[in-house]
Amino acid sequence: MSLPSLAEVEHADWPSLQRMAETLGLNPRGRSAIVRMRVADLVRRRVQPSSWRPAREHQAALLTRLGHPDLAERVWESTIQLDAPAPWVGLGQAQLAGGSRAEAMKSLKRAVQMGDPSAELHRAEALAAGGDLVGAVAACDAFLETHARDLRGLFMKSAFLSRGGFDEEATKVLRTAVEVHPEVPELVRTLGFALLRTGRYAAAAEVLEEAVQRDPEDVDARACRGSALLLAGRTREAITVFEEALEIDSGRPDVRSNLGAAYLALGKPRSAVAALERAAKQHESRRILLNLAHAQEAAGQPVKAARTYDQVLRLRPKDPEALAGRKRLAPPKKSTKTGRTTKSAKGSARTKARTKSAPEPPSTPPS
Amino acid sequence: MTLPPEMAGRFLPSVDRLENAMRASRRAFDRGDFEGALRENDVAIQLKPEYDAAWLLRGHIFRKDGNIPGAIEAFARALRINGESQEGWIALASALHTVGRFQEEGEAYDRLLEIHPRSIEAWIDKGAALHELGDYRGAIACYDKVLAIRPEHAAAWSNKGAAFLRLDEDAAASRCIDEALQLDPDFFDAMANRVLLYRKGKRPGETVFWADRALRLREAPWLWYVKGLAHLRLGESTLALKAFERALALDPKSKEARAGLRKAQALRETTDFYRGVYECFGTHLAGDPGCEACEIRARCREVTP
Repeated sequence: MSLPSLAEVEHADWPSLQRMAETLGLNPRGRSAIVRMRVADLVRRRVQPSSWRPAREHQAALLTRLGHPDLAERVWESTIQLDAPAPWVGLGQAQLAGGSRAEAMKSLKRAVQMGDPSAELHRAEALAAGGDLVGAVAACDAFLETHARDLRGLFMKSAFLSRGGFDEEATKVLRTAVEVHPEVPELVRTLGFALLRTGRYAAAAEVLEEAVQRDPEDVDARACRGSALLLAGRTREAITVFEEALEIDSGRPDVRSNLGAAYLALGKPRSAVAALERAAKQHESRRILLNLAHAQEAAGQPVKAARTYDQVLRLRPKDPEALAGRKRLAPPKKSTKTGRTTKSAKGSARTKARTKSAPEPPSTPPS
Repeated sequence: MTLPPEMAGRFLPSVDRLENAMRASRRAFDRGDFEGALRENDVAIQLKPEYDAAWLLRGHIFRKDGNIPGAIEAFARALRINGESQEGWIALASALHTVGRFQEEGEAYDRLLEIHPRSIEAWIDKGAALHELGDYRGAIACYDKVLAIRPEHAAAWSNKGAAFLRLDEDAAASRCIDEALQLDPDFFDAMANRVLLYRKGKRPGETVFWADRALRLREAPWLWYVKGLAHLRLGESTLALKAFERALALDPKSKEARAGLRKAQALRETTDFYRGVYECFGTHLAGDPGCEACEIRARCREVTP
């Protein structure tokens, strides 16, 4: 027999109640209220084997995340205990979410003083939220003094360094994380992305190759490796990598677009057009369409290119690149008006030097 | 000038030493090494005598070590330095409660509530302090404050019920205890209050039933004793005997339990009713289908008030 609901137990008549008790192996004899309580007890215990109820600290944490930091602050305040630094951390986070940064810093500092080193990381977040990225890195360092191998600490330090513009330092920290935690495959991938972002394409390609070896199904790592190779000038290798990525997942317009860009860089505009047309069919994005228009121009298809630029202008009417392309490809118009041309008061109009448009760089790697 | 590496981080090297001393004291305290904790705490206080966190920690060390007067003094010192400290006021109140200084405990909560008027902990603890002082109406007002903020606070309902019980407002007490048990069916304190309510109402059947439920959650000698008395009233001498024996096993010095045991032994000479599977014995309700089908209803009707 399936377990009755509490409502069924509550409203069952006497014969049903007796039946329920018997079926559940309970004593069916005695005053009906007592038998009902007996059955309800069993149902409650079976339905909720570990009757978890949100404690105040759970409620407070949820309130912060649900966007009610003022209420969360009050609840956190009511949970503060003598020996526990955790409520101070929660209070600090709620204060930070509520915009009271100075108060948040005090609360988090209190948690640190109470002996919770991880509060340093929360302090780092608070500092970073106030734009003090150097302070945030220092707070991470304070935490890492006692927890040198902590992955979260290392990651946060790297992120703050990167946000502060210290990309080289950020990469070094990530490298340390990779060395300390070889068991975390995602770290290698993240390091590869970071190297790619910092413009160290050859190193990025090398690290991402390792990531691909660890997880051959990781399309993102393959796609980024392709981008790194393309940016490093190893175009043929890049094409191979993009094609491998598309074999695993053919529904990736970003990879197909980058493949098109690689073909264009290799001087194969027709192949580029084919790849980019498919990419544009999969996802009509401005970047892919612009790449396609450039490829079409290079392949000697000005009418198609003009149409593609028009498509971009429908998506973004004032797109400067599309406007320039459209202007470049438009047939010369005869002036229908006659009259005086007004010169600028500042001097004669200058003629801009026309530059040939270069093929687009590959799409940004996924972060 | 180049500072040595340990000083390079701060202008004042004593700040580092202070933090290190505090950290070491905290660690020793967590380990249960109160002597070591106090030694490091001394260092911190020497470096910065007006450091409220150091005095608070000292109070906690003393309190855990059983030196309550020392703890009270340390907490008071911390509060002289930082009168806004919620932690300080709660710690002080808690220490005062330990030594039965309920009046001062209530005052400490008043100060805390001036700073944090919505502190549920302070309101409920103040209510408990007023209850101890016999100010049950004041206690109820405190619990009402809690319930205005959090109507689902089972402990506040249960405490309010206990206060009404003391005021001999049994119907109100019963409503509050019902509410507490509705919110938390396994709430021991509410069950214990219900036992007291039925005992006061001279309803031994219900007393036994709820004492049994409470004892399944937690054993308490007084609950065994109350259960034993209720069994005596129901003429169940063996069950009464067992209850008193258990009460004595948990609290061998209980004179009441010993007296109860003697009564149960004496009763056993004359009567010893066996209730069998009917845990509701003594709670007869005319017209109830379960009672109609009961095999011991005649006896049950006799002992039900």
